[in-house]
Amino acid sequence: MTTIQYTPPTFRHKLSAMLAETRLRLINISRYPGQLVMEFIIPIVFAAMPMLLGQATAGDQAAANFAANTGTANYVAYLLIGANVFTIVSGAFWHIAYWVRFEQETGTLEAVYITPTSSPVLIAGVCLYSAIRSTGTAVIAFLIGCLIFRVNPFQGDIILALLFLFVGLIPLYGIAFIFGAVVLKIKESQSVLNLMQWLVSFLMGIFFPVTVLPPFVRFIAQLFPPTWMVNGVRSALLGVGFFLETWYLDMAVLWAFLLFAPLFGIWVFTRTEGNLRGNQGIGQF
Amino acid sequence: MTAVSPHKKEPYERMSEPMATLSAFAAMVKKEFIIQLRYPVEFVASFAQIFLIVVVLTLAGLMFAPDGVQSESSSDVTGLVVYGFVLFIYLSDTLWSVGFNVRREQKQGTLEQLYLSPASKFAALASRVALTLLWTGLLSIGAAVLMSSMLGELPFHNGPLALYILLMTLSGTFGTGFAFAALTLRIKEAANTAVNLLQFGFMVFCAPFFPFAALPEPMLWIAKAIPLSYGVDAFRSTLMGYPNGFPELAPIGVELGIVTLFGVAMPLLGFWLYRKAENQARRRGSLSEY
Repeated sequence: MTTIQYTPPTFRHKLSAMLAETRLRLINISRYPGQLVMEFIIPIVFAAMPMLLGQATAGDQAAANFAANTGTANYVAYLLIGANVFTIVSGAFWHIAYWVRFEQETGTLEAVYITPTSSPVLIAGVCLYSAIRSTGTAVIAFLIGCLIFRVNPFQGDIILALLFLFVGLIPLYGIAFIFGAVVLKIKESQSVLNLMQWLVSFLMGIFFPVTVLPPFVRFIAQLFPPTWMVNGVRSALLGVGFFLETWYLDMAVLWAFLLFAPLFGIWVFTRTEGNLRGNQGIGQF
Repeated sequence: MTAVSPHKKEPYERMSEPMATLSAFAAMVKKEFIIQLRYPVEFVASFAQIFLIVVVLTLAGLMFAPDGVQSESSSDVTGLVVYGFVLFIYLSDTLWSVGFNVRREQKQGTLEQLYLSPASKFAALASRVALTLLWTGLLSIGAAVLMSSMLGELPFHNGPLALYILLMTLSGTFGTGFAFAALTLRIKEAANTAVNLLQFGFMVFCAPFFPFAALPEPMLWIAKAIPLSYGVDAFRSTLMGYPNGFPELAPIGVELGIVTLFGVAMPLLGFWLYRKAENQARRRGSLSEY
């Protein structure tokens, strides 16, 4: 008689499971090319709204007024950066928050939970998928937007801007885990996520510098990693000015978020998940 | 064994056709309202979301003003943005509430039951619009008050005519919603992408947040081919008291004609399209498919 012995998954196994989840999601989204095309269009249209309003109301003074208020006359790039970082941030929230609901709706949640792989490993795969999808579409949308509005997309310190973007992604996904926990708890949460998406866009200064906000709101905004991420990208590309005067101090703050936010997010998520599994069950929807 | 008499009296009193439709409509509105009440968080969140959108867009607009957030915009600019925003909320809510609710019934598995009942199909669609009218009306008033407090005094002229234009534009918008519901029955899950596409198309070509003059010439021609653009232009120009350069797309008489035609013909066209799509779905057996 052969006995089967359980061996806990090694790091290699976990990595393989994580990458399989990423691949599954990428294959899934590749079946919806229309949705991907929309992701290129949305940030451009979104940035075009204030741009067209500003051009129509301020006329020839649009660039000068914008420079006086934000620190750069290049309002096209400024607004496009804001709109694209916003799509990355909201993408992170939706993709992570809806991981469980996606599995619930496709009827695969129970199968996932009886495998020896832990849910944080699978969510890490979803994070990787989300980062590839959101960052890829945001960069392409930025380039297309710059071409449409005839501004040079390759200006400023591109390497530094990308560094701010990629470092900022990690604490961002840490926060997304917390939203994932909220969705687990309240289930049908589309409106709450919509609201959070707009709250985030307001706090990170999607179309304006957070310095225009009242001091208390500004303080809250600066506790939020995407605020540092978007300002870092704008400062690197357009020279609008770092919060702490130099790029390495702003980057240090982002690194502090990077060390804290993911651990805290995973802790909140696993705790919520554990509570739900111990009470009414996670499969209820 | 009991024989069934062909002349047996019905155990209930049959309502006259208009009363039956009205009763079905009232019951469906009540059902939609009860569903909304079951999600109080969603109710509050959707309201708060509108205010955040208003604040974000207003702050973005003020970045182009000489004194930034300290600026007080001219009342024409305020009117342009606020009244455009009101129509935008209505269109957006109609597309989601009419078109997407059909999808929700499909997902919940209750669409077939609705079709098996003798209830009016028009009442089923219109019931979704009724709550939109009420709820979005409240949202619009709230958003208008908030925006005018941030941007400056709101111009208000020609109230009755503006109300007529609003009603006709909304009627046309609801017709667009019916047509979208027909599309939803055909394209199913892709309806999510389609509604986004329509919304963003409206944001660009119907210029709710900026004057039509800001559009480049080729895009302006597309805008002129969309009846809803005339609704936006006529509505805000009328409320602003026709300042210099407004209405932008055509003389007000022509715009009123287009808006009236849109308001009368679009619901009929939309409902006709919906019935056609519904019959096709019934023939194919795809009504409950998702």
